[in-house]
Amino acid sequence: MMVGGQSYQTAGRGRPWTFYALAGLFGFFLLFLYGPMLVIYLLSFQGPNGGVTFPMVGTSLVWFEDILKPGQMANIPVSFGRSIALAAIVSVLTVVISVAAGLAFRRRFPGSGVLFYLAVASLVMPSLLVGFGVGLGFKALGAKPSLFTSALGAQLTWTLPFGLFAMFAVVNRFNRAYEEAANDLGATAWQRLRHVTLPILLPGIIGVAMGAFTLSYDEYARTTLVIGERNTLPLEIYALISSATSPTLFAIGTVTTGVSFLIIGITLWRIVRLQRRRAGRAPS
Amino acid sequence: MMRLATNQATQRTVVEPRFDVELVAVTKRYDRTVAVDAISLRIPRASYCCLLGPSGCGKTSTLRMIAGHEIVTDGDILIRDRNVTDLPTARRGTAMMFQNYALFPHLNCLDNVAFSLKMRGVGKAERHARAREFLELVEMAEFAPRLPAQLSGGQQQRIALARSLITEPQVLLLDEPLSALDPFLRVRMREELKRLQRELGITFIHVTHSQDEAMALADLMVVMDQGQIRQAGTPRQIFEAPANVFIARFIGGHNVLPGPRGLVAVRADRCRIGQAGNGAHSSGRVVAVEYQGPVVRVSLQMQSGEQAAALLPDNTYFAAPVQPGDPATLVWSEADAHPVTVS
Amino acid sequence: MTVLPLAIAAVPRLRRFASASRRPPPWIVSWLQVSPLAFVLVVLFALPTLLFVVVSFWDYDRTGIYPAFILDNYRDLLTTPATIRVYVSSLAFAVIVWAVTLFFGFNIAHFLIFHVRSAAIRTLLFLLCAIPFWTSGIIRTIAWIPFLGRNGAFNQIAMGLGLTSKPLDFLLFSSFAVIITYVNLFTLLMVGPIANSMAKIDPALIEAARDAGASRWRIMIEVIIPLSKTGIALGSILVFTQVMGDFFVVKQMSGGQSASIVSTLATEIQAMQYPPAAASAVVLVIFVALMVAGMMRVVDVRKELVK
Repeated sequence: MMVGGQSYQTAGRGRPWTFYALAGLFGFFLLFLYGPMLVIYLLSFQGPNGGVTFPMVGTSLVWFEDILKPGQMANIPVSFGRSIALAAIVSVLTVVISVAAGLAFRRRFPGSGVLFYLAVASLVMPSLLVGFGVGLGFKALGAKPSLFTSALGAQLTWTLPFGLFAMFAVVNRFNRAYEEAANDLGATAWQRLRHVTLPILLPGIIGVAMGAFTLSYDEYARTTLVIGERNTLPLEIYALISSATSPTLFAIGTVTTGVSFLIIGITLWRIVRLQRRRAGRAPS
Repeated sequence: MMRLATNQATQRTVVEPRFDVELVAVTKRYDRTVAVDAISLRIPRASYCCLLGPSGCGKTSTLRMIAGHEIVTDGDILIRDRNVTDLPTARRGTAMMFQNYALFPHLNCLDNVAFSLKMRGVGKAERHARAREFLELVEMAEFAPRLPAQLSGGQQQRIALARSLITEPQVLLLDEPLSALDPFLRVRMREELKRLQRELGITFIHVTHSQDEAMALADLMVVMDQGQIRQAGTPRQIFEAPANVFIARFIGGHNVLPGPRGLVAVRADRCRIGQAGNGAHSSGRVVAVEYQGPVVRVSLQMQSGEQAAALLPDNTYFAAPVQPGDPATLVWSEADAHPVTVS
Repeated sequence: MTVLPLAIAAVPRLRRFASASRRPPPWIVSWLQVSPLAFVLVVLFALPTLLFVVVSFWDYDRTGIYPAFILDNYRDLLTTPATIRVYVSSLAFAVIVWAVTLFFGFNIAHFLIFHVRSAAIRTLLFLLCAIPFWTSGIIRTIAWIPFLGRNGAFNQIAMGLGLTSKPLDFLLFSSFAVIITYVNLFTLLMVGPIANSMAKIDPALIEAARDAGASRWRIMIEVIIPLSKTGIALGSILVFTQVMGDFFVVKQMSGGQSASIVSTLATEIQAMQYPPAAASAVVLVIFVALMVAGMMRVVDVRKELVK
């Protein structure tokens, strides 16, 4: 969590004018950020005769129902399921791989520099190019790209660097004395990992899992070239955009946002509960 | 003198090991720097041993090598005549109390204390019962369900103690256990540690940078500097007869002054401000006067260049007070002057 | 035969060598732990990149692609005016977006870290900024269409408030729309790292500067900005690479007036013309790598992230 909050004091007279200026800017920014989304939420309740822009012609849930009907171009519920499944797998893999790598990077080992910069490169590389490379590779091997092979792999090149850097922050805060104490008390390496290291790192690990899930669920640029025949949700939406424009699109947007909120909200709540329990309620 | 005892299990007479801990030319090297330089030490049975020295002297490295958290570069460590140099931490018969206690934040006090038993596969009911016994021992029984974050520093330390003692170590290693406590608590915990050591009859090895702490607690005081042992002995031996200039200065309460045959160390409380007579003396100027309650500390800048101090009982000072700037002569008796080597 | 082991056992110093092999050296443990990551990064990132570097030298025609080593793809790419145009346009977008996100990002980070006093509110506000990130970029991009269009919300509000009499046309399907969308999508990438850097500034430094008589403006210039350099550099790297690598936003929001480097690339891939696409990819990668390398001179990325 961030520290800071060293605010400018003006001899006790209250806030300097810059506070109000910046607060205003911040408020404007929030409006700017949320404005379009609010428009979408509104328009998803568009009446049956309304179009994709204002004015609203009555209100209805017609467009939400439309989602559930498999159309010729798109099959939303199924692709939604695929997105969730893929995101779950990506999340688990990212956690396992990042945690292990984060623990490894506590020491300098030969090749650690190369690996680090490789991770940075993987992060900043334009996403489509990554998909391009993976797609070429699959073609060269004569394999067909598919959801849980090539798409999964391409997404990992995106989530793993994030997971790795998040784990760096988490592991740096971890006091090695805990592991030494565990050794002292007779724990084997596996016992130490299972009973001390991982439980203490748990809030961070949950954060990485949640982050990876979201990144995967919303991802489209790395997967679009290597998805094979069965689309994930963002790619279904992408296909929809070019073909049909109806408020169904907005309804989908509202629903997916709702799902993201739900998942992240629950995860955050669990992390906060965990940390609060461990921090105790005693004054420091 | 060998000690004989009867092995209860076999009813045979055995020779008891004479020392709890023996260090034989133990060296620790990090890349190029030598943190501990071939030190040898013998710690008798059931003694309270303090490793004392300034930062960087190697005392913590030594402690961690005895514990097994650092690998020995060269030399051997014996615990009750058993060579443990290559043994992992858990098999040495040692237990360590860490500087910030390192209590597992995700476990409550009971589970913290019971941790080592859980690692050994002891069942829940049994290990919880044992853990409660040890919580009783440190008078923390009612804190069993609390988490470490809910405890104060002193309370955390007791839990850490209980957690270490439940492994029934032959040697307990303490890494600056009192540094994080406020002065009042420090004195109280000091007494508790000493009492505990007596009751348990095992050796405590206690690392500290505070001379007062070491003198109050130690049966054997080991003063280290730059990776070497500069002097080892009882606190009284060291305070009465510091071996060299470093010890005299580090221990405090001593003046190091030039004598007729080289440097001597004289206890500050054995010095007086007086007239240059036939006895040993040195002239200088008063630099500061500090009232300390039962004594008054008079700091002087000597003509021969050093700084010195006299600790005068308050009556003595106020009978003939001196002020900063006054010329003064430091006098002491020859019997109180101990020759010290430079290094 | 047993003499040597006995000798080793007898001399304590030598015993170390006998048992040292029992404990694996630390770097082996690290390598075992990091091998899955290494595997993914090498097999799914490094090798594919190498692959399209190789393919960029291949020949192709209407029927297929052929292994070769020719520079034609690069020649065609670098001598076409369209290439220069699209790079210039992408770079222009990147610079403008960078400037705007830097402005917003810096000020918002500054507000959150230095002006908000309560930690709870700060976390809440930061979360508020981050929440939109949990929705896919696709949705957030098309969300602008009903907002900026001729009959869109903005025009309706503006006309309702009497700010304009005619709906504004340039809002949508223009460079303006592209920039607005980029800023919307990527400002958080600036806020995050900069706020992180600012939070690490020791408050005592600011107090010392104030004691020495510095005005708030001078404090900003002399203390805060230099110490936030790392965050600014990290944020800039992220924003730049995202803009240069984008293919969706430009296509949707520019109304066909601009192209992006990657969307042209994507078209070639759809047409199975892999060699020129690969050449285009290589040129882009080199370009981006040079920019990132330049920005990394400002900050030692490894020290910052691993610290």
